[in-house]
Amino acid sequence: MAPKRKKVEVEEEEARAQVEVEEEDEEEEELAFSRNYFLAKEVGSASGKRSAARKVSEINLVDEQLLRASLSELPTKHEKEIGSLLESYKGLYSNWLFELRCGFGLLMYGFGSKKAFLEDFASSTLTSYTVVVINGYLASVNLKQVMTTIAEILWEHYKCKAKISTGKKQQTQLPNGLKSVDDIVTFIVDISDDCNCSVCLLIHNIDGPALRDPDSQQHLARVSCCSCICLVASIDHVNAPLLWDKKMAYTQFKWSWHHVPTFVPYKVEGLFNPLILFSSGHVQTTKTALVVLQSLTPNAQSVFRVLAEFQLANEKEEGMHVSELYTKCREQFLVSSQVTLNAHLTEFKDHKLVKMRRHSDGQDCLHIPLPTNALEKLLQELV
Amino acid sequence: MAKHQTSPQSASSQGANSQDANHTLEPFFILHKAQPQATVVEKVSKSRKGRKKGIESSPKSPEKSKRTTSDEQPSNTLYEQWWFKAFNEIWSLIQSSIEGVLRDINLKLFNEVLQWIEDSFSEIKSNVKLSSSEILQPYPLLADTLCRKIPTAFVLTKNAEFVDDIQTFCDLGSHLKANRCHVANMSALDFSLKFGIGGSVRSLLRQLHSEPLDGKIADMLTLAKWYCEEEKNDKPIVVMIDDMECCNADVLGNFITMLSEWVMKIPIFFIMGVATTIEAPKNMLPSDALQHLNPSKLTLGTPSDRMNSLVESVLVEVCYCFSLGHEVSVFLRNYFLRHDGTITSFISALKLACSKHFSLESVSFLGLYMLDQDSEERWSEKFVYLPESMKRCVLNLHSCKSEKNLQGGVGSIVQQLSDLKASQRFWSSVVLCLFEVARYSKMQFLDIFCEATDPKMYCMNGSENSLKKHFRCGDKNSTARSSSGVGSITRVIHTIREMPVAALSNLLDKWNNHTEEMTEINEEVKKLQSVLASVDEGKVYEENLHNIRNRKSVSVISGKRNSANEKVAMLLDAMIRKYMKPLECMTLHEIICFRDVDVLQSGLIGDPRKTIQLDLLKCHSYLSCSCFSSDAKNLSPSMHDTSIMYKLAQEFGDVINLYEWYQSFKTVLTSSSQTSRKRGRPSPASKKAKPLPPSETEALIQARFCGAVTELQISGLLRMPTKRRPDFIQRIAFGL
Repeated sequence: MAPKRKKVEVEEEEARAQVEVEEEDEEEEELAFSRNYFLAKEVGSASGKRSAARKVSEINLVDEQLLRASLSELPTKHEKEIGSLLESYKGLYSNWLFELRCGFGLLMYGFGSKKAFLEDFASSTLTSYTVVVINGYLASVNLKQVMTTIAEILWEHYKCKAKISTGKKQQTQLPNGLKSVDDIVTFIVDISDDCNCSVCLLIHNIDGPALRDPDSQQHLARVSCCSCICLVASIDHVNAPLLWDKKMAYTQFKWSWHHVPTFVPYKVEGLFNPLILFSSGHVQTTKTALVVLQSLTPNAQSVFRVLAEFQLANEKEEGMHVSELYTKCREQFLVSSQVTLNAHLTEFKDHKLVKMRRHSDGQDCLHIPLPTNALEKLLQELV
Repeated sequence: MAKHQTSPQSASSQGANSQDANHTLEPFFILHKAQPQATVVEKVSKSRKGRKKGIESSPKSPEKSKRTTSDEQPSNTLYEQWWFKAFNEIWSLIQSSIEGVLRDINLKLFNEVLQWIEDSFSEIKSNVKLSSSEILQPYPLLADTLCRKIPTAFVLTKNAEFVDDIQTFCDLGSHLKANRCHVANMSALDFSLKFGIGGSVRSLLRQLHSEPLDGKIADMLTLAKWYCEEEKNDKPIVVMIDDMECCNADVLGNFITMLSEWVMKIPIFFIMGVATTIEAPKNMLPSDALQHLNPSKLTLGTPSDRMNSLVESVLVEVCYCFSLGHEVSVFLRNYFLRHDGTITSFISALKLACSKHFSLESVSFLGLYMLDQDSEERWSEKFVYLPESMKRCVLNLHSCKSEKNLQGGVGSIVQQLSDLKASQRFWSSVVLCLFEVARYSKMQFLDIFCEATDPKMYCMNGSENSLKKHFRCGDKNSTARSSSGVGSITRVIHTIREMPVAALSNLLDKWNNHTEEMTEINEEVKKLQSVLASVDEGKVYEENLHNIRNRKSVSVISGKRNSANEKVAMLLDAMIRKYMKPLECMTLHEIICFRDVDVLQSGLIGDPRKTIQLDLLKCHSYLSCSCFSSDAKNLSPSMHDTSIMYKLAQEFGDVINLYEWYQSFKTVLTSSSQTSRKRGRPSPASKKAKPLPPSETEALIQARFCGAVTELQISGLLRMPTKRRPDFIQRIAFGL
């Protein structure tokens, strides 16, 4: 059961990562306009040369599965040196603990994954704290669940203390009415002064996708002010400090910055990032197109095939007229009416398999946005 | 997934760190629970409450010290306890001093606000007298519209950054609470569009109710019911909004309009912080909300006034147990003036300096005894039980190395520490005298402080000739020097020469208090006071003479006055030369002086944008591997993949062609492996790639390429290709 759930979660992560990439594409388009004159010129000249520029498709790409396998088994360079670098940080553990006890939050930055060594720090040095680790690099982090867990830990101690002082048995559940994250955070802040415990929040990538919104940062900042909670966090993005205003940085998080480059590969952090050589261009599209087509009816697949064959046969044409497609499909008994064809076309357009274009003769025509070789490959695999 | 988790380097370096592989994909998990005994220790040390100043809480206890003596190698945890206790004691002293100073500065304003509330409240009470049933009526009372105005104080904070004013508003809230007011301290977050007016009312009720609002509907009727409870309806309700301009105008407008409906029944007052000008509320709030406000204007002190007071009370008056070196002082001054100008950042920098001092300087805990009256006895006791290794630490301090007297033993060290304490007291007295003049001429105390801590300046002042030379230098370049903070003391002395008699007399009165411990100087001050008194008598005569334009007599009197000014200036000069010895010129100063400006700077200002790029460009400086030693500038295949990629990326412009980038990367990885094959000394990468078939080598290179791009993307140095330009990647950071 558990592995299945994990698989679903992984798929969700991948889907989210894909959506993020698409969102970033849109942002990038805007960014291009906001560049200064000289950079804009440079972009312009680059795009002017685009026809002459080499394409990713010209790289002799190996199979994606083989590449993923190689990536996961990639030997790490300078393993020994990285090991001794990490070993050198162990000498600082006591200083870091000292700073935590002085009321500062530790913010670790520098190139390389800091996950393993921060957890090592927590396991070996923060023994007097209950350590809650948040994997901020995952888009699936739900801050409400995290806050509920922290509230439960504190509530447990609060109950014990109240039981000792009043001699009465307290309710075991968290109080009702804690519906929103805001309520839970307020609850944590309220009871933290009376809790006889120390909780350390270890956040890997506090600048991660699920935590970088202002609300999440506000909640974390409020929680970090509590007398019984301390914070150890890592950042990897160069612009991460923009997440905090002065109030958050100086009075709530109270960061003490530590530059700790590790040069350890970001294996877990980059797990859901698409591979650059497979994220764009025809490779990805052929695969996705194939997945979509295979889920359609045989008739729909055949309609697509008619269109694809026309496009392959008439490479110089701008596209196939809708009426022409209808005629050919009707001849092959694939569709009985224009309505049926339109239903198929809507399906294609929704999945971006087909695009509508205005032909030079003024009529609308259909076009598959795939390069010839990709289209050929698709037709071969569709059989 | 397990493979990722237990990658070779993590396995080797993290060894015992047995984390569950599944945890990498869990959004969150509990790594471990606190060990029960340790929690209690932690909590005690973390708690700020119940901290006592003095002997009981000092780090040394005979039992502990005996244990360390017998062990000879005491555990670090014991020292850590000492350092932490010393930090706690000293920082709590500094913090209470800071809080006291800020409270005193604002007290005048607080009393003004309180007076305004009391006056308005008594006026309302005299006009409207309502029973509980009338208050609880859900509809508004029919009355004169003027009465529906909410008395509102706009407090001009004179500070674009409201972070400093958050504490001011908190203090104001406490002050009002202590003076019979109900207070709700609200912020811009309570007036957001997301939660609307419901959120604002809920937040208001939550702050006023001491108990949680379990199940109660957050509306004005609930507030009215609460207000009708016993002993509550004879106090005004003060709603404070610290950063009014950051609130959502519509939500705040609706909130004001709604409260105005109830203002006759429930006496509500607004106190709103305004960062810009008094016009801001007019520009921001809708007119219908604005007409319900009855505004008044109050003004807070400027950040530079607050800074002066802080420097005086924290850096000078408490300097004998923890102080800052010259370089750190100059850094903090620049940090305040150039970084953001907020007191909050300055205080947090000071706290970080304090914590770094106690965590990095092994004998820093000895500074704690500076607080005690009987410091010498305490040090003597401490040194008896102190392990040899720690004693050696004291003798190995840089300032002790040239000091031959210290080799005499414990007695001489204690003597030096006493001298250090006495010297710091004298130093602070002289600096306080300088501040009195600076206050008159509105100079920045921080400039004077920086100069007073400069050991070079003291060396320069060593001989009389050079002192005169220095002052003369100061004359010529006073403008240039003052801008850089150097020459402030010279300016102070010049100010004295031009001070009128009355101001000079006041100055000497203050000096009289500051110089009590320096008997010789104190006597001189008293003499000068008597001289001035005679000049003062002549002043009336002088004025009369001035009126009848008898210039000759005036010049005689003013000449006398000038000689008095000159004498005061000379006295200050003598004080500076004799008693203002900067801490860094003293033996054993390391115990109480924090000097490591680089450590403070890196802890305070992380610059990930620059640093992460530098990590990649200079990875050889962190990974000191033999393969970098030949030529660090050239790219070698054994270098970190991402580092190679980022160095290659430097050769591209705004956008990088993926194909070209890949080819360059491949060339670096393959060509050099050929070279190394020729040399017969294969690099670690080529050693593994060599026996592989070409397709797998290609896969390996492509995998390395993809991995490196992902890492650069995580660092935020790249943007992934767009649909429009699928073959180009965009660079984000240019230059360091």
